Amino acid sequence: MRRTFGSVVALDDARLEVARGEVHALVGENGAGKTTLLSILAGHLTPDAGTIEIDGLAIPDRGWTTREAWDRGVGMVHQHFALVPRLTGEENLSLGVRRARGGWALPTDWIRRRVEAIREETGLDVDLRTPVEELSIGERQRLEIMKVLLRDPRILVLDEPTAVLAPSEVDGLLTLLRRLAGEGRAVLLVAHKLDEVLRVADRITVLRNGSTVLESDRSKVTARSVAEAMVGDAEALDTPERTEVRVGDIRARWLGRDDGTDLELRAGEIVGVAGVEGNGQRTLARALSGRELTIDGRVHLPEGVAYIPQDRGREGLIGSFDLTENVALGHHGDPDVRGGPGALFLRWSALTARTREMIHTFGIRTSGSRAAAGSLSGGNQQRLVVARELHGSPKLVVAENPTRGLDVAGARFVHDQLRRLRGADQAPAIVLVSTDLDEVLALSDRIYTLVRGRLTEVPAAERTREGVGARMLEASE
Amino acid sequence: MMDSLLQGAGWAAFVEAGVRLGIPLVLAALGEMVSERAGVLNIGLEGSIIAGALGGALGALATGSAGVGVVAGAAAGVLVGLAFAIPVVWLNTDQIITGTAVTLLGLGGTAAIYSARFGATGTQLTLPTLEPIAIPLLSDIPVLGPAFFDLAPTAYLTFALAPLLAWFLFRTEWGLEVRAVGEDPDAAAAAGLPVRRLRLAAALFGTLLAGLAGAHLALAYTGTFAENMSAGRGFIAIAVVVLGRWRPWAVLVAGLFFGAASALQFLLQTLGWDVGYQLFLALPYILTLAALGGWVGRSRAPAALGLPWPRRH
Amino acid sequence: MIRARWWGPFFGIGLALLVTSGALALGGYDVGEALAALWRGAFGSEQAIASFTLKRSVPLLLTGLAVALAFRAGIWNIGAEGQLYAGAVAGFTVGLIGGGLPSFVLVPMVLLASLAAGAAWATLPTLMKLKGGTNEVITTLLLNFVAINLTAWLIQGALQEPRGVYNESAPLPESAHLPILWSGTDLHVGFAVAVVLAVGLWIVFRFTRVGFLVRAIGEGPAAARITGQVRSNRIAAGVFLASGALAGLAGAVQVAGVDLKLYESLSPGWGYTAIAVALLARLNPLAVILTAIFFGALQAGAAGMQRAAGVPFAWVNVIEAIAVLGVLVAAREREAA
Repeated sequence: MRRTFGSVVALDDARLEVARGEVHALVGENGAGKTTLLSILAGHLTPDAGTIEIDGLAIPDRGWTTREAWDRGVGMVHQHFALVPRLTGEENLSLGVRRARGGWALPTDWIRRRVEAIREETGLDVDLRTPVEELSIGERQRLEIMKVLLRDPRILVLDEPTAVLAPSEVDGLLTLLRRLAGEGRAVLLVAHKLDEVLRVADRITVLRNGSTVLESDRSKVTARSVAEAMVGDAEALDTPERTEVRVGDIRARWLGRDDGTDLELRAGEIVGVAGVEGNGQRTLARALSGRELTIDGRVHLPEGVAYIPQDRGREGLIGSFDLTENVALGHHGDPDVRGGPGALFLRWSALTARTREMIHTFGIRTSGSRAAAGSLSGGNQQRLVVARELHGSPKLVVAENPTRGLDVAGARFVHDQLRRLRGADQAPAIVLVSTDLDEVLALSDRIYTLVRGRLTEVPAAERTREGVGARMLEASE
Repeated sequence: MMDSLLQGAGWAAFVEAGVRLGIPLVLAALGEMVSERAGVLNIGLEGSIIAGALGGALGALATGSAGVGVVAGAAAGVLVGLAFAIPVVWLNTDQIITGTAVTLLGLGGTAAIYSARFGATGTQLTLPTLEPIAIPLLSDIPVLGPAFFDLAPTAYLTFALAPLLAWFLFRTEWGLEVRAVGEDPDAAAAAGLPVRRLRLAAALFGTLLAGLAGAHLALAYTGTFAENMSAGRGFIAIAVVVLGRWRPWAVLVAGLFFGAASALQFLLQTLGWDVGYQLFLALPYILTLAALGGWVGRSRAPAALGLPWPRRH
Repeated sequence: MIRARWWGPFFGIGLALLVTSGALALGGYDVGEALAALWRGAFGSEQAIASFTLKRSVPLLLTGLAVALAFRAGIWNIGAEGQLYAGAVAGFTVGLIGGGLPSFVLVPMVLLASLAAGAAWATLPTLMKLKGGTNEVITTLLLNFVAINLTAWLIQGALQEPRGVYNESAPLPESAHLPILWSGTDLHVGFAVAVVLAVGLWIVFRFTRVGFLVRAIGEGPAAARITGQVRSNRIAAGVFLASGALAGLAGAVQVAGVDLKLYESLSPGWGYTAIAVALLARLNPLAVILTAIFFGALQAGAAGMQRAAGVPFAWVNVIEAIAVLGVLVAAREREAA
């Protein structure tokens, strides 16, 4: 299978074989091509070259549509659920089903019967009556899976299903997947969290840089060998040394939902905040960085706070603005770039010079300072954001999931920058709010967990995967 | 004695006028409601209405039959509607600006065509009209009878549409799909729904009813055609949809309410208040504003209303 | 916001002229003569240029600026029509009351009153949008009707001309009249004011911090709030009110420069046509000058075309509409890959 997007080769010599009755895991780093491959399978994209075969029937070369994919038995459960928030569970289920069965009336009876049957077979329980917008993430995911199961797919494809679940819910999901495979379906699980995948998979395929580099039975691999295949070298797996440098103190008092917790931040230190998505990370990051202060948080901030937001495309950059304008977006308050009477004007010459310097220093690959920010790749966009935010020696740096959606090289760049910052003269205090536990463990000098808006510091002895992981579950369902 | 007789006549005239004025609004608004439920806000509705009026007029004149005129009017409405719906749904042009352009197109085009064919004479057109059909017994009820049960066929159609659309939107699978597309087109697409086709169909349905409303204006309400006779009804219909909270029965009531406000001038004249009726003309709009700001508040408009799809990211 | 390709407007205009020629031919008109009459009506003489084309472009220029400003910030102000009426009424009233004052005092007062009234008329939609998240398309649209009806009420009542016969107001005192800019024609200083405002607005967008932030809000509201730490609500409110003010000014300028009276049918829909004017200019204030003049030329030319070749005046709306549709189609958003 081969697919390119412009000059970017997303897939090149990617192979995947899934058998009935097995749970097959497709793993790879961010940007390895998993999403592209899935999109092709589901009919969203057509490949430039390559074939798809289901049960021995080859799919015609002209590519196929989402509709055909459904009809042929590909049931895809997306990472971002395809549920209409204002409709009820039942109505959402109807949406997918009607097209297959034809007819005017809502197939309510049929749906209820099938839902009940599936529940008996697999233990999958869903809420039909409540509007989706009122359901929890776990409940929504179950509904999404039920929606797909109603179509009786031959192959059930799940895209990063565990990314949004709390560790306790993950078990339930994995058990369900085993049961579904036991029924004779093929289950394809896409993930990049190795340990979960290894618990449940029968066979594994590893994608790296768009190509299949490993296809094997579960019994024949170890976590390490898979990880190596994913990353391509063993270097990324070592945890680097951490040095501590302390210069001065910064104190931030974060009031969560229940009571106050002092979050102590010190210059030259990286404090990691670990937690499952949806426990208040965004609010915390925003409050700490002083952007969109919330009512609950009272924070005393120093002058000069840098914020690397989670959603760089929407919150960090304006795609239709050029690079200089995006730098101006962050720096327009800086007296050095203002001019004219009452400092009303922006000195674009100064801003352009600054931007060019950033392009050079941070190795941003672009056609120039006038290029539209939207034309940059994800990694380069993040470089721009980092360059802009770290300019001017901020005293506090708040990074929220800074490596989300980046490939290995991109993630490494961000981590290197954070470490470099920590060890610099006049180092700032750095807060890393991340749902990626490995990232937190690798970078942080001290760790807090964020559960339902409450921060708790993790004692040094428990700063391991299991220790922090366990604490993340406290007081969550 | 005479006074109270006059007052009785005044009220009857008021109710009758209210319904008469409200019908075209309700008709256009019901169509726009379906369109908006699918996420398409059509402020080019005015263009479809006036096109429907001219189409109706031309059709009726050509064949001598008002019935044919009605069909022609509906077709004309859809024709103009295509100029709106295709750019908006398939080319993802901005709904507001496209709508404005289509309104200009419709108003200008119909005025030009009318001017070119009939303008020279300077006399008003007389059209074959849709005769009102009186429902026996019911039309004899005082005040309400002549108002509700002695109407042109298109008016009865309008009343029938309210329950029909209510059933369609909330009880059928297609109605569910339309609603899904208007709330979250991404999710709908992932569920395999043909989002664009649904939006196109809903938008064109809206313009169909708008064309019918225009034909009704020409062939049942006035019996003639005049430039710009739609008089902003396309915009008013949008307000009616909002006041009616995108629900068919409420839209019916809201449209009649707007009609009633316009009809107030008759009542006031009878009561001897000649001055200031424009204030009452403004009343429905003020009320809609209040509704928007008050209990409708963060209005339960279809979440994806006015947004292009697919979105660019 | 609307990232139209640069050739969009030319494509649109070209398409419009093409369609027009086609329709004229179909209708049995002499295409060459008609188009020549169109040109002559717009640019054929000094009078044509000044008293027709440029004069007619003024309300479109001001409302076009109002709309362009709002749209740039992502605010869909469809209420320029109502704001125009509000400004007209306020300006007229001030002019009427202050009739005894000298011109150089009264005229600025009239204009300032209209700015305030236009902004005031935009206040309710602004509040409803910022406090309640209510869609401003509908609120501003509704207020247009309210404004028109209120104006009609005033003209038939308090402001009616002394004899109480016609639906128009008493004449505007002469000291409130706008002075003539181009002697020998009807072109008044309103034109100069509008052009200066357009240039000023362009400078603001291009060179000032505030202008930059307004653009940021329009093109990337989330990034503006979070990265730019822009107080979006305040700036959006300011832009909304300023937009209303400009539209209000358009109303007073028309009353004090051309009509010299308050008529019930003051505006033939300038507030809506302004949307087309702004779009054709890709929301760039300098370009709005050009597109407003273009629309003014079309209107002047269409009148000439009707006189000379018998082509219905209403056709000009069709030309405008097709031009806009052409730009929109040329600018269409690409599908997400």
